[in-house]
Formats: sequence, C-alpha cells, structure tokens
Amino acid sequence: MTQTKPAKKTLSDLATPPQDYTYAFLDEFAKRELRRKILKAIAIPGYQVPYASREVPMARGWGTGGLQVTLATVGQADTVKVIDQGADDSVNAANLRRFIARMTGVKTTTDTLGSTLIQSRHRIPEERLKEEQILILQVPIPEPLRGIESSMTQSREMHADADYALMWVGIYEDLTRFKESMLGADYPVIVHGRYLMAPSPIPRWDTPKLHQAEHLTLLSAGREKRLYAVPPYTRVEPLEFSDVPFRIENYQDNHCAISGVNNKFMNEIPLANGGSRFELSDSDYTRKLVMQKRSEPVHIGETYFDDEGEFYIEGYLQTVKERS
Amino acid sequence: MAYVAAKGGEAAIQNAEAFYRFLNGKVSYGFIEHLEKHLPYLLDRIMGEGSLYAPDLAALAIAQTGGDLYESVLLLRAYRSTQPRLAYAEPIQETFVIRRISASFKDIPGGQILGPTLDYSHRILHFDILRKFFKDEIAEEQGKLETSTTPLTSVSHWLRGEGLVAPASSDTTEPSDIPDVTRDPIQFPASRAHRLQTLARADTGGILALGYSGMRSYGFGGSHPTVNEVRLAYAEVHLKHPVTGQVFSAGRVRVSQAEVIAASSENKDLPELTLGFAMTFGWNEVKLISAAMLDLQMNQTEAHPAHTEEFVLEHTEPVEASGFCIHYKLPHYVTFQSKLDRLRSIKAGGILAKEVQHDAD
Repeated sequence: MTQTKPAKKTLSDLATPPQDYTYAFLDEFAKRELRRKILKAIAIPGYQVPYASREVPMARGWGTGGLQVTLATVGQADTVKVIDQGADDSVNAANLRRFIARMTGVKTTTDTLGSTLIQSRHRIPEERLKEEQILILQVPIPEPLRGIESSMTQSREMHADADYALMWVGIYEDLTRFKESMLGADYPVIVHGRYLMAPSPIPRWDTPKLHQAEHLTLLSAGREKRLYAVPPYTRVEPLEFSDVPFRIENYQDNHCAISGVNNKFMNEIPLANGGSRFELSDSDYTRKLVMQKRSEPVHIGETYFDDEGEFYIEGYLQTVKERS
Repeated sequence: MAYVAAKGGEAAIQNAEAFYRFLNGKVSYGFIEHLEKHLPYLLDRIMGEGSLYAPDLAALAIAQTGGDLYESVLLLRAYRSTQPRLAYAEPIQETFVIRRISASFKDIPGGQILGPTLDYSHRILHFDILRKFFKDEIAEEQGKLETSTTPLTSVSHWLRGEGLVAPASSDTTEPSDIPDVTRDPIQFPASRAHRLQTLARADTGGILALGYSGMRSYGFGGSHPTVNEVRLAYAEVHLKHPVTGQVFSAGRVRVSQAEVIAASSENKDLPELTLGFAMTFGWNEVKLISAAMLDLQMNQTEAHPAHTEEFVLEHTEPVEASGFCIHYKLPHYVTFQSKLDRLRSIKAGGILAKEVQHDAD
C-alpha cells in the first residue's frame, strides 16, 4: 500500500463553492429575525408582531409576507404546497412554488395530506390539516380595525385596551340597515379570547377551520410588515351576536360540475347564456374526487365539512338545519 | 389533472417572460455601460428609491426591465435582501459639493454655487442630434468637473448664530445604534431616523404629489416655505475596519440634500423659524425639495391628513405601493364569491327578516 501524502488544503478547498444566492434566498440575519418574530407570534396568539419585511423577488402584495415566513421556516425535509384561491395551478401559486423549490431544493406537491408546509392565498384546504403541518396564509391587510380606524397609532392603542366596541357597532349597523352582516371574506375573529384578528381574506367557509385546529397557522403581511399566528388547539371565534349567529356561505344546492359533490366551497363560473356553473375551489381535492370516481387508488383525508355540510366540531357552528 | 395544469401554469410564466424579452430586444453589456455613463439621473433615482448605491446594478436593472422603473427598484431592493449588513458607515464628514444654492438670501457664506443644472436652459429638443448633423456630439461646450472642498457652513448654521432658529443638539449616537428602517419596521410616531430614511427611499413621483399639494397651500395655512439650501455633492463613505478599527474610505457616492424653512407660530407664543430636511442617494432635487417640505409639514400638530407622518410615509413607499397596485391583477374570485353570497342573502331579505317570518309562522 503506497502512502499518499495528504493533499495541501488551500483556502478555496475549504470554502464552499460560490453561489449567487444563499439557502432560501434571505440572508441569515433576516431568517433569524423572522424565526424570532414567529416564536413571539405563537406565544401571543392573534397579536400582530412587527417585522422588518425584506423585499423578495416578487412584487409586494403577491404573497411576499407569506413567502418570507415560508423561506424562514422551510427545511430540507419539508414538502411544500402552494395554493392561490384554492388552486395549485394558478400562475402566481406556480411562480411562488417554483421560487421556493429553486432557492431551497425542497420537494413540492399539490397533495394537501402529503405536504408539511402549505403557503396559501385566500383559502384553507377542505381536507383537515394535522399536527405536523403548518399553514402559512398571505395577508394583504393585517389590521382588522383598518376599516373603522385608519391610524395605526390609534388602532395599536385599541388592541392594547381590547377596545373593539366599534367593530360590534359596525356589524350592528349592517344588521339594522340590511338585516344581514355585509362582512364577506376576512371575517374578524377573536383569538384565544383576547386579540381581534384578521384571518386574511379566506371565505367565511374557512374561518371555523382555524378553531381548535390541529395545525399551526402563521399569517404574514409583507407590505404591512406584520406577522401573527394561531397556534394549534386555540379558540378562534368570529364576532357574532348571540341572537344573530355567524353564517358561512351556503353550498347546499350547488354541485361541482367536475366531481358532482356539494357542501364544499365553490367557484361560481358565469355562463354565456346566463346562470352559472359551479366547481370546487380546492383544485387538488377535486383531483382526488375524480380519481376516486374512476376507481383509481387515492387517499382522501377527512374534511372539515362532511357531505351533508356539517362542521366536524359539533356545536361550534349552526347545524345545516339551523342554517337553511 | 391539477398536476398537469400546475405544469401549464409554469409554462405560461416562461412563455410570458420570453415574449417580454423578445419585444424589448437583447440586453448587452455595452448597453448597460452606456446607460451607466449617459443616464446618471435615472440611475440616481433608482438607487435612491432602491436604497442601494450600485450604479452598475441599477443600470442592469433598468436594462433588464426594459426601463420599467418600479420593476427596477424592486430588483435592487430584492437583491439587497440577500446581503447581510456587515458594517455601518461613519457619519459623513467630508463632501465635495458640486452645486449648492439658497433661495433665502442673495448671497451666503461660501457663495451660491450653480454647478451642473438645466434649470436656466431652454427646454428645446436638439433635433440636430437626431439628424446626425453634428454626428454624435452635443453642440454645446463640454463643462468640466468642479467641486468645492472648502467646508461650506450651512445657511441654517448662520441662522442659528443669529438666534432665528432654535439651536440644534448634537447627536452622538453610534452609527450601529441608529434605528435602521430596513431592519426594524417603522412604527408611528416614527423616530427621526426612520422618518428620514423612509423619505430617502420614497417614490419620487409619490413624494412630489403629496409635497406639491402642500406647496399649493392645500391644508398648509398659506405659509410658504423657502428653500434654505439645496446641495448636490459627492460624499466620501467611511467605514471602520471590523478587526483593526482603522477608518477607511469605501468609495464616493452622489448625494443630495435639501433644507426648507418656514415661520411657524404653532408651538410657541412667539413665531419662530422651523426647518424641514431630507437627504438621499443620487442627485434628485424634485424629490428632495418635496420631501423636505413634507418633513416640515409632518411636524405640525394640525397637519392636513395628507401631510401627516403616517399618511406620507406609508403611501410613498415605491415597492409597496406599486406592488400592491399590480396585485389587483391577481384572481380575487374567492373573496368576490364570499361578497356575492352576502349580497344575494341581503337581496333575499336578510337573515333577520327570515327570523321575523319564522316567528310570524
């Protein structure tokens, strides 16, 4: 056996090869700041934690807040899913997914059950998320009080005092004028009995899914530089009067043109000759239902709302009978 | 199905970008060099808003986006996010002033220095150049670089000496302890440092619009501020070496600063002169004069809603404003669907009407 002289190590041998971007794009200080702020947000459910919010290579308002949280939390073992309005195939979702994969090399998927990190704009999937999953919601306006108080100095004080009286007055005014609340998506909720929170513009259909959820939800607004969290198993209650309960969208009578099911959140597609057609908003859930219909092997998880439209936590929402 | 469609989404993105590049033509290194050399004011604007002093990168950003300035600023800002902050520069001590004028006095200590400007030139198109009559040469005589290295005391220094402006307290905060708006988000009321940094990064057009509304006395009580001083200069950026502690020059940057002054009787029994100030990377006088005017207005306790600190600083952020503006092109059908549901329910009489009906039954 010949003795080989150990090769002389030069500085360039020791250094990692040069690369244009660091892992997950953001510099390490930015990621550290984000992780610290995320921990703080989890510790104070529903409280908006200010963060520096670095610019990323997407325009502001296109999910840069969610993206920063994703980049700060994604590890090599993660599998990432990105949806926009419930769809994996939306161009902006495709773009974000492509960027995350390019900057980290992690696996991506469209399967809700097969993902560990889900970045989403405006939807929570229909299949129930589990403890090991993190949902990251993109937020345009983190301040639920913005509509009634535009000054941030003022609204910060109102949160400190838990002074949400004006919100109740707003809902009451709707009820007297329209006999119904006008609040559509982004329905304000109280988290853990303390902070009023904007759940991001998810439809009211998705709001209950945050309540006592098994998964962690992180919400982040890049432009407004605020992030907040709903930890697992936390109370999330929509603002409602005891005699006028919170109501979700009604899909009793609308069936998905592709899968045939009802009682899930639908996209309404106007038809040229008037009227409309409905399709499930959750595109991957639709894919699974179609596979099932064709008797192909597929695993469909439990859903938040069953086929009859009942929510999985009994007593939290009105029953279908009460709703109709 | 959805998987294939997801692939389709990615192909669509690539095709769209290829089409964009096709229409804009190829970007060559020579073109970028040209941009850097011949469009310094454009570069200055991008570098100021991008808060990154890198003329070559600014030129590349402009070329790469076909001259879309908001996109260019975003490119610089996004690149900035990949760079750790390693050091803080020493306060600027030495500037090479190339232009310095004051509207407050006919002459000022150190003199009025006109420097390079088109302010008094006729804004006429040089058709000659277009006709290649004079080949590629500009008809006028070429000037040469003249900078003043003699320290020019500021006009406000003289005013303070006269007791007309309240004395300034010197700030000895360590550079690394100065609040940094790129590291800590702005909160209101903002620190002085955060306000000036945000104005330095502000959108030129946005700051002009709000500043101009004040200049028209829109909610400013008719008091007409005066430009105390506008300066264009090269500034030496000094850094302290992290190991040896030696201070060294990291290079020169173009900077501009503006100071405006107005008589105010708001906070005191006696009227006094108060100052507004702004400074930025690059030479950008329109932005700076507007920003300095707004700085002055933000200090008023009864500022017009469009001139309050929160309103001005939140709405003139170029990356945030332009980004959110174009985000409206993204699909919004989920939120719209949720709103439709409300409207239909209300049209059907509303939940309360239904309950009244039930009771009657």
